[in-house]
Amino acid sequence: MSDALVVTNEGRSMKLTRRDLLAWSAGAAAGLIVTPIPWKILDDTSIWSQNWPWIPQPARVPVEIIQSHCTLCPKGCGLRVRMAAGWAVGVAGMKTHPISHGALCPLGFGAHQLNWHPQRLREVRHRGNPSSWTEAHAAFAKAKSEGPVVIIDGYPGRGASSVFEGFAEANHGLYRVVLGAESRALTPYEQWTGAPALSLGYDLENTQTIISFGAPLLDGWGTPGYVTRLWAEKSAGADDPQLRIIQIEPSLSRTAARAWKWMPIREGSESALASGLARVLLEQNLVAAHGPVPPIALSEAAARSGLSEDAIRDLARVLVERQPTVAIAANENPSVAALSVILGSVGVRGGIVRREKIERAYFSANPVIPDARAVLIDSSVPWDFVPQTGAEIFRFAAWNGGLTNADWLLPAPGFLEELTDVPTAPALPVETYAVAPALAKPTYEVQSAAQFLAGTDSNLASTEKIIHQRCAELFRNRSGTLHGQESIAIAKIESVQKLEERLWKGAVWVGEAPPPASLRCELKEWPSETTPAHTTGWTNSWDVPVLPPLASKLYIESSLREAPERRNA
Amino acid sequence: MSARYGMVIDLDRCTGCGSCMIACASENNVPSLPQSTARTGLTPLLVRKVSNGEKGERQREVFFPIMCAHCEHDTPCVKVCPQQAVEVDKATGIVMQMPQRCLGCRYCMTACPYHARYFNWWDPAWPKGMEKSLNPGVAVRMRGVVEKCNLCHARLHTAQEKAAAAGKREIDPADYVPACVEACPTGAIRFGNLADSNDPVSKEARSPNAFRLLAKLGTEPKLYYKSQEAWVRALAESNPARNSEVQHG
Repeated sequence: MSDALVVTNEGRSMKLTRRDLLAWSAGAAAGLIVTPIPWKILDDTSIWSQNWPWIPQPARVPVEIIQSHCTLCPKGCGLRVRMAAGWAVGVAGMKTHPISHGALCPLGFGAHQLNWHPQRLREVRHRGNPSSWTEAHAAFAKAKSEGPVVIIDGYPGRGASSVFEGFAEANHGLYRVVLGAESRALTPYEQWTGAPALSLGYDLENTQTIISFGAPLLDGWGTPGYVTRLWAEKSAGADDPQLRIIQIEPSLSRTAARAWKWMPIREGSESALASGLARVLLEQNLVAAHGPVPPIALSEAAARSGLSEDAIRDLARVLVERQPTVAIAANENPSVAALSVILGSVGVRGGIVRREKIERAYFSANPVIPDARAVLIDSSVPWDFVPQTGAEIFRFAAWNGGLTNADWLLPAPGFLEELTDVPTAPALPVETYAVAPALAKPTYEVQSAAQFLAGTDSNLASTEKIIHQRCAELFRNRSGTLHGQESIAIAKIESVQKLEERLWKGAVWVGEAPPPASLRCELKEWPSETTPAHTTGWTNSWDVPVLPPLASKLYIESSLREAPERRNA
Repeated sequence: MSARYGMVIDLDRCTGCGSCMIACASENNVPSLPQSTARTGLTPLLVRKVSNGEKGERQREVFFPIMCAHCEHDTPCVKVCPQQAVEVDKATGIVMQMPQRCLGCRYCMTACPYHARYFNWWDPAWPKGMEKSLNPGVAVRMRGVVEKCNLCHARLHTAQEKAAAAGKREIDPADYVPACVEACPTGAIRFGNLADSNDPVSKEARSPNAFRLLAKLGTEPKLYYKSQEAWVRALAESNPARNSEVQHG
């Protein structure tokens, strides 16, 4: 066959010349362009490679919508969870929720992805090495038998919190809480009113002016839907709004950008400015209160804050134009709290009110824990709480937040993987109660801190039992309203089973707030200044150490927020 | 009667929280690939921050949610597409993108005056197990195609199916709400039928404070913005994609 190609009719062998080769190549190239075969191969290859069998495709299964509550942080926003094949496939806000009004923070919208986050804690780890629940239980039982145990809770008021308290009481241990920034801002009122900070809230529905000293009011402060709805309805875009928000902050934050008025001040001068304002209010008799006069001259307040004395005087007059006026600090700041007292906004409608009659105060956790054999840290405690102790540390967490000196890292249930109750969110003016059932299958072998403790002490009541007890108590009190698909007074609910049924289906109980005047406040002397911790929007005030991948991605790809990677760089 | 779906975004109500972006990406199964950057990532809805350029107390910022404006007239992306992968749906006015037809030439991305189109540079992927959290109503798009906001078309389908099951021809407007509208905590993003003069959104679109970006191009975008602040309205003839801090590829 090959001979036939090189033999001519004349019987002489044909030489392949350079010209022949070039002509053949040109012909082949031209043919290649007009023939569809290579293009078809290319096209089919790309289509084929676009649809590799391992490229994930969503399951074709029916979707069910379930009402519940978010438990990622203590704000307890109402959720509409889209469930498919036992997994959460989408999250949206519950429009009928009486507090959050269908709003969620950005993290909430991607929360259903968090259970598969690469930083999810998947196994028990002991000093960096894989271990087991059996070994963790044994180590904790040994520690418990040898000395006191301190339990740290970042989300007090839950059924799990009662388990912690019960364990600490039965075992001569201590129960301590780590409060969020909103609750810490209310702690100065404890000593002036005698009411625990966790029983206090802001009646913002009836407030006319808010002076915020760096509190990220429109960026995840309090229950996001509660504050943003008020702002949208009463303030947004209006020249003379019903609700005036004055933001005192060194930089143009998201809240400052949308506030009625933004006053940039020098970093760390919030206390000086609050004291200066109180001095002007008292000296110029702009308020009914008398003393104590802050020990700071107006000139000093002006010098430290970077505002002029006239600007401070003008601001003081603005504060009393539309009252009630509430001063809100970003964190614990006694001077800002005292300004609210001088403005007469404690124990009044539209001011700082008492939402419930609890008398007991929680003890805040001090990172220095000297006399303990073991410290158990619940998964609700922020990762920036790092105990300084020689005790053995048992740290529960759903996601690995990185910075820890814990001996034991124990995987806790993730988003919607655990039955829990949802007590009143920080800073709310009314009491609320809801239940968040376990909707998603646990992704890994996890235990909550309450389950872990129940495993070491059979006398402890389970979280579920405590939730049943609380429902029975709500039913007995016959007070407040249950908000679900419809609103119904508790007094009209036939049985505790019916009440539980509604709560399990996403209803929320809202209590009746005591009259504002039941909170009395006495400020004997002007508080000394403190330097509160810096607080920004929700990414800093949150107990989840990781963001949903979509949130991280969109922060990187937009100019909205600094991505955590960049912030930590 | 055919609808003309569109949006009015009240910029005075936008706090720039970003919930709309995340709700959109979650609804539409947008992958969060670690290698994607501001130039290469997929963001069918992107909130951009624009400053008034002043300093100190006079400085102001506004947040612009940018997405496909669903241009009605001489739709630039439709005109340049060699594959008929983009078309304006006559029944809804939604500019539809069909990934199966797209060959990835990206002419439409160049033609779009709003920089609201994105290219799938990589195969869609999620961290192990996270595929269980994908929205069953939306197919993932393949590598090598362009995508953009389609006003949550899957939700329109669901509403149409519901109406058909009830023997109705028209959908209940409450059944068709895009994810970003549902997610906005302040009600800044409003959605409705611009062809219906009684629709509240249609009325808002005709208010004196409403404006459209680059309206001078004559493409009749169905995405309106609204603000009481004059400096914000003055941005109407500019492109926030160019004015904001992040430039997109």
